Amino acid sequence: MGWRWFHQWGSPRWFYERAGRWQLVCGWLALILLVVGSLWGLGFAPVDYQQGNSYRIIYLHVPVAFLAQAMYAAMAVCAVVLFVWKMKLADVAMQSIAVMGFAFTALSLISGAVWGKPTWGTYWVWDARLTSMLILAFLYLGVIGLRAAFQDPDQAGKACGILVLVGVVNLPIIKYSVEWWNTLHQPASLKLTEKPAMPASMWVPLLVNILGYYIAAAYLVLGSMRAIVLQRERRATWVKELVSRA
Amino acid sequence: MSIEKRMLARELKLIAARPGDILKPMWFLMLVISMVPLALAPDSGLLAEIGSAMIWVATLLALLLNTEHLFQSDFSDGVLEQWLFLDRPLAWLVGLKLIAHWLFHVLPLILITPIAGLMLSVPTEVLLALLITLFVATPALTCFSGLGAALTLGSTRSGILGVLVMMPLFVPVVILAAGVLIRATDGSDTLPLLALLGAFSVVAATLVPIAVSAAIRLNIGGSN
Repeated sequence: MGWRWFHQWGSPRWFYERAGRWQLVCGWLALILLVVGSLWGLGFAPVDYQQGNSYRIIYLHVPVAFLAQAMYAAMAVCAVVLFVWKMKLADVAMQSIAVMGFAFTALSLISGAVWGKPTWGTYWVWDARLTSMLILAFLYLGVIGLRAAFQDPDQAGKACGILVLVGVVNLPIIKYSVEWWNTLHQPASLKLTEKPAMPASMWVPLLVNILGYYIAAAYLVLGSMRAIVLQRERRATWVKELVSRA
Repeated sequence: MSIEKRMLARELKLIAARPGDILKPMWFLMLVISMVPLALAPDSGLLAEIGSAMIWVATLLALLLNTEHLFQSDFSDGVLEQWLFLDRPLAWLVGLKLIAHWLFHVLPLILITPIAGLMLSVPTEVLLALLITLFVATPALTCFSGLGAALTLGSTRSGILGVLVMMPLFVPVVILAAGVLIRATDGSDTLPLLALLGAFSVVAATLVPIAVSAAIRLNIGGSN
């Protein structure tokens, strides 16, 4: 009896219905936070004395870059859940997080490039953080590609789980090796010297936006998970009833 | 004869039956190396400067080419299924297969790199460092590309996916090896980096076979 809260996660139908409600809450919350944070950050936060207005891209770039890394960790947690409890929903989560994670990584690379042009004078430098983000994008692509190679979703899920777990062990090694490589080659001093400590009027809207983007990511992942559940359970009666009603 | 000895004997027999499998990656390596001076100016100092890095990348590619189908024939003729019934852990057998592969397929590749080095006029002390890094790093590379090969076993339309999936994981190995080569060029101490590279190889050789055996299990389990 005490395990009901846990076992109900095994039911796709239960998840589909609940996730719809959670999605609604997340959607509105994210919308409010993002509107408040973005308006505040873009319109009212003070101008940076070094970078002028171009620094304002941090209100997009920083949350997205955080998410890009956090989502790989989330995917690894799902992989562990998949192998330990054989929970199929964890595989569904892994599938949608891989796509969203890649999207966020790409977005952080693109927004970084857009910011880099006016600030550094170039779209791309082989900086440690940029390089490890690029590798992260390739790791996400690998997970997406591996899943696409299998016809059977169970098999695909297990294969992706192995890849994600091997990847998550290697990720810190990759990150530190890339940082070390960067110091080894002593790149041109394109970096901003000594970041000024941010005043509260700058970082509070950033914090609001970070929270907003995290909740928006939850909204997106839940939405895509619901779609995947429907697709995988397409032969179940409850899905057929749902579709015929719509 | 123990199972281990018989496995090694079988690998040798397979090689004797198809010696081309060993030659093709070496052939590929030499072709890539010949392309480099054609793409650059042949007599520039640039060649000697980037030669060792080029050889490293070319060897890496040749190794990937070589390992891509590591388990494919054993999978399709049912040998892998027989492994499941042996009284040995699957990871152990996978480890043996990887060792045999390294000995018979990767080692020849390493042994011809000095010729490539001479062709690109790489200085002798750098050439020596290159050889050592390849010896130390290739076990890790073999293990990871073996994992890529095992993960995509059951899928008929994967193409070079196994390679694409595993290549990002090579980043630390390539960076450390490049560090050794740079230090060898300067004449500074290469031992700390070689030790790190060796540690990476040892950890990979210990843990990756477990992941490979899980990948083989899922591909065999899925097909019936």
